[in-house]
Amino acid sequence: MTFLRHVIDHINYLAAAILFVIGLYMVLSHSNMLKKVIGINIMETSTFLFFVSIGYVAAARAPIIESGVDEALYVNPLPSALILTGIVVAVSITAYSLSLIMRLYQGYGTLDIDEIMEMRSEGGDG
Amino acid sequence: MDSTHFPAVTIVLFLAAAALVPVTVKKTAYSVKKIILPVYIAALIMSGVTLADVQRNGGFTYDFGSWAQGLGIQFTADAFSALMAVMIILISFLVLIYSFRDIEHEIDPGERAGYYTLMLLVVFAMLGITYTNDLFNLYVFMEILSIASCGIISVKRKRENYLAAFRYLMLNTIGSLSVLMGIALLYMVTGYLNMTEVYLRIAEVWRTYPRNILIASGFIVTGLAIKAALFPLHIWLPDAHSSAPTPSSALLSGLVVKVYVFCAAKLLFKVIGRTIVISLGIPTFIMYFAALSMVMGSLFAIGQRDIKRILAYSSVAQIGYVFLGIGLATYQGMAASMFHIISHALMKTALFLSAGAVIYSKRIRNVSDFNGIGYRMPVTMTVFAVAALGMVGIPGVNGFMSKIYLALAVLNAGRPVYLLVILASSFLNAIYYLPILIAAFLKEQPGRKNVMEMDALPASMLVPMVLTAFACVVFGFYPLLLMDIIDRAVPTFFLFK
Amino acid sequence: MDDLIVRTVTRIVVPFLQLYGIYVVLHGHLSPGGGFSGGAILGASMVLCTLAFGLEKTEKKFGHRLSALLESGAILAFVLIGCVGILAGHTFLTNQRAGFFMGEFGSLLSGGMIPLISIAIGIKVASTMVTLFHAIIKEK
Repeated sequence: MTFLRHVIDHINYLAAAILFVIGLYMVLSHSNMLKKVIGINIMETSTFLFFVSIGYVAAARAPIIESGVDEALYVNPLPSALILTGIVVAVSITAYSLSLIMRLYQGYGTLDIDEIMEMRSEGGDG
Repeated sequence: MDSTHFPAVTIVLFLAAAALVPVTVKKTAYSVKKIILPVYIAALIMSGVTLADVQRNGGFTYDFGSWAQGLGIQFTADAFSALMAVMIILISFLVLIYSFRDIEHEIDPGERAGYYTLMLLVVFAMLGITYTNDLFNLYVFMEILSIASCGIISVKRKRENYLAAFRYLMLNTIGSLSVLMGIALLYMVTGYLNMTEVYLRIAEVWRTYPRNILIASGFIVTGLAIKAALFPLHIWLPDAHSSAPTPSSALLSGLVVKVYVFCAAKLLFKVIGRTIVISLGIPTFIMYFAALSMVMGSLFAIGQRDIKRILAYSSVAQIGYVFLGIGLATYQGMAASMFHIISHALMKTALFLSAGAVIYSKRIRNVSDFNGIGYRMPVTMTVFAVAALGMVGIPGVNGFMSKIYLALAVLNAGRPVYLLVILASSFLNAIYYLPILIAAFLKEQPGRKNVMEMDALPASMLVPMVLTAFACVVFGFYPLLLMDIIDRAVPTFFLFK
Repeated sequence: MDDLIVRTVTRIVVPFLQLYGIYVVLHGHLSPGGGFSGGAILGASMVLCTLAFGLEKTEKKFGHRLSALLESGAILAFVLIGCVGILAGHTFLTNQRAGFFMGEFGSLLSGGMIPLISIAIGIKVASTMVTLFHAIIKEK
């Protein structure tokens, strides 16, 4: 019972760690390039999840100042603001890698990175 | 405007220039000159003044938005960052002047404006990483640098460039996310993102949450090792640096990987602190991999035939030298590795620019076609010879001085084994650099006599090469010019010893 | 795509989408949102136009030249707003001490330079979204 309580108390750390490892496995082991990009996205999601969940303060309100309410306990708004920037970075990386995949498909005819490496070692691109 | 504004104004100037280029540049690359030359001259003056100011008065911090430390983002200009900034601006200036004529045969006319935008963004991000004192700001600049440097590889529209850029992007993103995880762990226990604030609190955090600091340092070191191409994590480097256009290769090999190493040193010693890092055992770890890097990088380079791939593998080996100096965690080790950062940047830029000049005028990339080329392009091959001799470690060039400093640091730290590794690596360097020089100057192309003729290169390509080689020789004979500045900068790195 | 229902519904919905995006951008200093998310909503509305009406029609309204001008203009606006702080004697991106109009706490015209920077960022992010989408969709 205490083990379950322990898991529930730290569920955000567990989720971030599991997602990070799943994403890393996808990037490193799958040879399809689209799956690598999805793996990077899962890793990014796990990191952002971890960063945002750090800011949580138990029994606090949302960090928006309303009139008539003062001296309340607020959740830390800084991690959310930082991760907004991080999400934009993640979108840029995804967009750029997807356009690279399109050009690679036009150039090599396949989405599989192992086949491309075989084609390079046979044909000798340089 | 007094001189404390200069670091921020320099960075913002590069950003504004990168924003202006797509709108004002028309067909040829020459109209870019109207934007780049004023920006660089202003940047050189400002960073020179900052360096002189820091030498006289000590470092200063600059709060963005007039927020107090710990609330807002801060820039810090201490001796190390001012020196790195001057080096980045100078070397990128020479590479950009070289690129005005060189990209004509590598990039289509429609892409050239985009190329210069990306190069200016790379310089902007490198200066940002050098100056910043805030952890998340560091992450943002690292991401800008990684996307922009993938951009300057893939702007040349060949399919192997796309493949190299894709692999570089995937591995670099894994590295950045690792670093972000480490930063999140540090923020979790200290509550601050400012590097000085984190450093002040890390001693008590180490008592209460040691495992957290261990995991955070593991993430940070792994992430930065991927980006700086330490031995087992270097697989993206040969493809990326050899297929990129020459000015991009020079910038990437000479500056970008160094900035990541500098960033690793900053995070390990200015944020986590020297005592904690030593008790975690990280320096020994780094030194093992640095030694492996030095030997394996050179071994891989021996079997290559393409000149740019040889230079790329040689970069892997030289990064090993810098990591060895950092891994010693002593004053002399840091000074030696800083000297090697600057001297390798000069030598590798000279090597890539001269190899690019050979490719530009004679279209040969394979080392076995280099017979007798010293007589058809004497100035270029002299530059190549000076830089290659520096890499091997011949006295008179700054490579020799950096190896001496590194060897003295290794001996003073009491680890003579690594001296053998340095010697073995120098020997391996000779095995693949000297045959190129011998073939260029002493062998003959079949069907052509060795008569000396002048290089058929435009002046905007010759002058940067000669200047970098000249700087190599000057620092080889007068290393104290640089070493004085570095010796005074190192104690500020280990803040409270 | 040439579907009549999609086109008609898009014609009705897009003005509301853009109004919502502008609302999120302008109220960045009062409620969650700001430049990034508002710009993404504005960009998404243009992407919806592209999906419903085809690439050529949308490119006439939001072409390459216009997006290059908007992006560079937005970055230069950000830089100039930041430099106002330097000219006033404080550091880059200073807000209240540099003399921006602060106004009454909680109203729309308050917060000094924050709404101005949010607008610049919103324009830039919207333009970037549209450029990325058009670049990926164009058959080379």
